[in-house]
Parts: sequence; C-alpha cells; structure tokens
Amino acid sequence: MQKSKHLPAGRKDRTMVLVDIRETKSVKASDVFLQVRPGKDFELITLLRAMLREQKVTDDQIAETGLTREQCVDFLDRAKAAKFGVFFFGMGLSMTRGKHMNSAALLTLAAELNAFTKFVAMPMRGHGNVTGADVIMRWQTGYPFGITFNRGYPRYNPGEFSTVDVLVRGDTDCAFIIGADPGATMPQPAIDHMAKVPTIVLDPHVTHTSKLAKVHITTAPAGIAAPGTAYRMDEIPLPLKPAIDSPYPSDEEVVRRINEAVAQKADWLGTRPQSIQHQPIS
Amino acid sequence: MLRVTGGKVFDPANGINGEVRDLCVDQGRFVGSVDGGKTIDATGMVIFPGGVDVHTHVAGGSINFARAMTPEDHRRTQAFIRTKTRRSGIGGMAPTTFATGYLYAGMGFTTVNEAAVPVLSARHTHEELSDIPIVDKSSLVLMANNEILLDLIEKGELERAKQVLAWYVSSAKAYGVKAVNPGGVAAWKYGNDAKTLTETISGYKTLTPGNVVTNLAKLVDELGFPHPIHLHCNNLGAPGNISTTIETMKHLEGHRAHLAHLQYHAYGGDDWTTMRSEAAQLAEYFNAHPNMTTDAGAVLFGDTVTITADGPWQHLLYKLTGRKWGNLDVENETGCGIVPYTYKPSNLVNAVQWAVGLELLLLIDDPWRVFLSTDHPNGACFWRYPEIVKLLMCADFRNECMRKLPVSIMNKITLPEITREYTLYEIATIMSAGPARALGLKQKGNLGIGADADIVIYNQEDDVEHMFGHPRYVIKGGEVVIEEGEIRETPDGREFIVQPKYESDTEAFLQPLFEELYTMQFENYPVEMERIEHPDIQECVPVE
Repeated sequence: MQKSKHLPAGRKDRTMVLVDIRETKSVKASDVFLQVRPGKDFELITLLRAMLREQKVTDDQIAETGLTREQCVDFLDRAKAAKFGVFFFGMGLSMTRGKHMNSAALLTLAAELNAFTKFVAMPMRGHGNVTGADVIMRWQTGYPFGITFNRGYPRYNPGEFSTVDVLVRGDTDCAFIIGADPGATMPQPAIDHMAKVPTIVLDPHVTHTSKLAKVHITTAPAGIAAPGTAYRMDEIPLPLKPAIDSPYPSDEEVVRRINEAVAQKADWLGTRPQSIQHQPIS
Repeated sequence: MLRVTGGKVFDPANGINGEVRDLCVDQGRFVGSVDGGKTIDATGMVIFPGGVDVHTHVAGGSINFARAMTPEDHRRTQAFIRTKTRRSGIGGMAPTTFATGYLYAGMGFTTVNEAAVPVLSARHTHEELSDIPIVDKSSLVLMANNEILLDLIEKGELERAKQVLAWYVSSAKAYGVKAVNPGGVAAWKYGNDAKTLTETISGYKTLTPGNVVTNLAKLVDELGFPHPIHLHCNNLGAPGNISTTIETMKHLEGHRAHLAHLQYHAYGGDDWTTMRSEAAQLAEYFNAHPNMTTDAGAVLFGDTVTITADGPWQHLLYKLTGRKWGNLDVENETGCGIVPYTYKPSNLVNAVQWAVGLELLLLIDDPWRVFLSTDHPNGACFWRYPEIVKLLMCADFRNECMRKLPVSIMNKITLPEITREYTLYEIATIMSAGPARALGLKQKGNLGIGADADIVIYNQEDDVEHMFGHPRYVIKGGEVVIEEGEIRETPDGREFIVQPKYESDTEAFLQPLFEELYTMQFENYPVEMERIEHPDIQECVPVE
C-alpha cells in the first residue's frame, strides 16, 4: 500500500473498519469487522451521531442494530483519534431500506466528525467510468443523472426521470444504450420495454441488452483499443491510452456520426422562447 | 469584414474617452480601414472593448461539485432552451458550461480567467473550459500548498523550485500561478490553518506563509509569466484580518502581484459583533504601492454558493451557517470547500462586506489597479456585475441602498462619506482595459489596431444597470454573437496558456518524488497539448 510523508509505514499506519451484513472475503483484509443487521444502517448511523454528541442512547436501541455498545464506542474512539478518516460507501447502503436517507445520514456523520478530526465520505462507484458520466452531465446540465430534456432544457428528478423509471413506465419510444448492460440488472418491466421499442446498443461485447436490441454496433473497448478519459472515484481524470488497434470504431466516433445524421433532420423544437427567466422565491 | 460607425468610443488603453470614432475589423482584428462588408450604425451608442474577468470560478472540480450540491437552485433559475445554434443549460449560482458562455457574452464579456485549478485535475478543467462557448479563457494553477514545492522552498533550493514551478505550469497548460492561503491548505490536512505570516506551517520545521508568499512572487517574476502571482491572502474573511493583509503586502515589496478579492481581507474588529471595515486603511497602503493590482471581490445581497480552495475557512462557514458543506482534498496539492450562502442586508457582517467591496472600488484611486469582480460565485454571481456598475456610477442609488442597512452599521463603514461616482471611462477601465493589462493580454481590453475585435455596443441609457446588462450588440473576434438581446452565434473561444522553459533534469528529479507521493503515473500527469481546444501560447518575459 502507498507509503507517504504522513503515513510512512503504509498499511500499518492505517486502520480499516469493515461494515457489512455478512462476513465477506474483505473481513480478512480489515482490522475491525462490524456486522450490522440488514436494513438497520440508518439506525446505526443515527445512534453513532447521537453518541458522538454524548446524547443518551439505550442498550436496547444499540442491540437492534446487531452491534454492542463497546463496538460503537470503540469505533467512535478510533474515528476521533484518526488523523484523516474516510467513509467509503456503496450500493449496500444507498440502495437498501432508507436509500438516499442512509447516504444523507452518513454524510452528516462525516461532517459532524470534523468537530474532532478531518473526516470525509466518498461513494464507491460502479465498474467502468460512472464517475466520468456523472462529472460531464453535471457541467453540461447541472445534474448528475435522472435528467430529461423533453422541454428543451435539463430538468432533474430521480425516481421520475431515472433510466429505470422511464423504462418501467414505458415513456420512451427508443432506447440508446452505451457501455452498459441494463438488460442484466433492471426489473423485468424495464427489460420488456427495451425489447419492445427500437433499442440500439454500443458495446464491445455481446450482452444481455445487445441480445434484445434491434441494433448492436460493436465498438472498440475504451482504454484497450480506444483512447479517452476515465474519471477516478475521487473525480481525478486519467487519460486512457490504447494498447492495441481495433477494427471497430470508438463509442465517440459512432455517437458523433449519429449526431451528424440527426442534425440533418428538421428541428423538432420549432419556435420557442430562448430562455426561461429566474423565478425568485417569494 | 465589419465596420462600426458613429459610436462614442471608450477605449482607456488608447486614451480615447467618448470620442466618436469608426472601428474597422478584418480577420477578427482591428484594422485601419476596410472595403465592403457589413456596417453597424452605432450612432448615439456607447462602445466598450469586450469585458475581461480577472478572477472567476467557472470550470473544474470545485464549481462542478457546487453544481451537484445545488439542484434546488437550478430548478428555479434561468434556463436556456436548446435551439439550432445553441445548446441548453442552466444559469443561476453555478451555471453550466454552455450557459456560462452565453451569460458572460450576454453581458459583453469576452475573456475570463479561471482562477483556481489543481494541476492534478487540470485535464478536467480544460475539458470544461472547451465547453464554455464564445469567450476566450485562461487558467491559473494552485501552487502555494504543493508539498514538493513547499519542501524545496523550506530547504532554500530556490533554483530547483523555479524549475519545478515552470514544469508544473507547463504540464497543466495553465496561464499563471495562483496562491491560496499559502501554507493554510497544507495545514488543513492536520485540521489546522495558517492565519499569520510568521508562524510555522503545520508539518514543517521552519517554513512560514511569509516565506511562501515572497518566494513564489519572486519565482513568478523570474519566470516572467505575463500575469504576476495571483494571491488569495491568508486569514480570509476573519474580523481583524487587515493586519495579515498589510503584512502580506509588505512581503510582496519589490515584486509584481495581483491580490484577489481584497474585500474579504479588509476587516477590523475582534469578533463578528465588532467587525468593521478597514477598506480606508487598506486603500491608503495600496495606493502608495504601485507594484500591486487587485480585484474587488464585491458582495451583493442574495443567494449564492461559496467555493474556495480555502478548506479550513469553509469548515468554519459550515459551522456558522449549518447548511450543506462539501469538502474535497486533492492529494498532496490542495483542497476545496463548498458551502451555499445567503448574504442578507439585515446581517451586520454581510452588510459590512457589501460596503467594503464598494469602498475598495471607490477608495483605490487608480482604476488601472482595481477591477470589477465578485469572486464569482463567492460574493455574488458574475451575471450581477451590472448592479455593481450602477452602485459605482450613482451615489444617490448607493445612499438609497444604504438606508436599508441596520443603523448600527454606520459607524463601522466609510461608504456614507464617499461621494465619488465612476465615469463610463473608468468603468471601461475596471471592467476591461485594466484586467486585460494585469493579465498581460495586450490583444484584449483594447480597441487599437491589431487587437482582437471584441466590441460591446450599448444603448446609452440613464438606468446603467439595464444598459450594462443588455448590450445592443456584442462582437467577439469580429463576429456578431449577440444582437438585440438574442444569441446569434456561439463560436469556440481560445485558451491562453504559457509554456515556460525548464532545465532538462527537472523530470528526472520529479519522477521518483512522484512515485512516492502521487497515485497517478508520472507520464499521465501532464495535460496533452491536443486536449486544449484552440491553444494560444503567450510569451514569458522575465521581469527585471
């Protein structure tokens, strides 16, 4: 593990606490393992926040989360004594009971720990360049995902405009899937809808989605046969340099050509105002 | 080819003050005369060179984090609808990239300087900059808390430090050097700050913020970047920080320097209740020292989002406001904090801040040395500049605004005693000619032959806020981009960069340090030139 000016002994200078609902292979790599009861993340985080503020917390409340008071106190002591702490969290937190409330609670705990020491929280992103898509959507539209352009400007509402919701409701009459395999992970109604409408897939491989698609364009894999940029989890961009040549075009090349063809069509927006003015809060 | 005839021209770079002149444009630049082409009849109208923003935050990791944190603002703010020639976007506190270009151009600005870029994420910043249409851009890299550089300065290896600095700026494809809270952001890694210039920085044995300030200013002069060191002083925003600011200015004697957003550095008093304006004291010292320029960092009342590399200050602001807080650490280079904020006239501290920004603009007597800025989005959003122009040009309006402030503020500020009103010539200086000169961009802020044909044509109106917010025409590089309040064209802008030379052994020196300190491969770190859209390399001339 990386040694540094601040942590000259590398791994030995670091403490890793693993929180999960079951013993996974990662337990071996960690110093402390806390087995939380499924669906009790929000309760645990809230109790930790209360204990951090020295508010009264009963043993029964703690027991409900699957942990003991000793474990909680030990965790908080370690967190407060750290020079620099990081919570890494993934879909086990953000997509289980409580969803975004769980993430919000964890972010608040991280912020509140800064009364004692430097502490931050960072989401563990999915495979591939999820962070890159996020970053670019934000600078072009102001929002990371769950965006609709159906009024000619970006609007945001997760739960309404997220990919899965749009597909389940059957709101689209075409689907364009790039470098993802929703056919493998999304609920059946969403998959059924993709099979029903013209679905176009850009992917180097045959996937569940490409099998149900009307069109599959094979593209060169980014970072192996196509250049580009990938954003690391901490939003640092890394250049991708291809190691081999590919007979297939890159995703960028295909999208650019589709865009050029679409630009030849008549503008569907027609005559509309150029902008919508600021609406101050009354 | 284009001719603009009959307008009243305000061109401070060439000493032209409201004379009626014709302007001729060919190949994107001003020329002596043209045959044929389009003619704009500007009779009765006012002509300025395109605006230049010397200090703004419009692209990169921090503003993009701020966008993510403020969806509630995007929802209610100005939205740009897609047309055949224009992409869609969102305005507001942290506008999206396309909207940033439209909003700046719509206000007559044609050049903007992104003032805080970590080298590690410079690639990201350049990607965003190339998505900002119409305006020309430049960027400054954060260097005052870089561990490799600080170690060299502590050891007194200044020649090596200079080579390393040149390598960093060259690798980042930046235009110059920004110093934010020198030593303070490095100390924030230990949960500490650096509030004075003489205390040792956390994690170092002898190095002080004062050493960093003086040596960086010296190195930037020796390397001869067109723009001097761009300094965000220590102890931002704190009551009584005037002493730190004056001390910083003393450390800069004998060097060129641009002091960013001085409004945040001109306070007296001991705590929030006794905080008062020390703009008069600051202006007096500043007026007597011509080696420096500054921008106001003015505050306007209303909602905004504050973003700065000053991590410790943002933690304090989070504790003060109890609102959302974002914190980013950029490995061993710098950090950044984001907190949404509302400036209220009823709040004593905010009222003092509002007054200080205007006082600095009015008390610094040379308009060539103080420039219009709000430290966007920190003091207010850049698209509110016309409100500041009105406050500067109309003493009556200023007095009217002051009547809305708490009475108890009056003995804390000097604004009520100031009667100065800016002229159009002076506004053209602080908004265009001055910042262009401070940035070392001879082709900007200038309507002379050979300069870039960036022209703003205003209807002369009594309501100067409306006048400056709604130019009749904006011409960028000879192309009409705004006409009658509508966006006509959205050409790409250029990026100004410098490529300073460094000794050939610099990379051999840095590579082992890199492998020890960074998580990125050494060869992946420099931004490739082909990633810069329309690079325009400016010359470095060492300052004697």
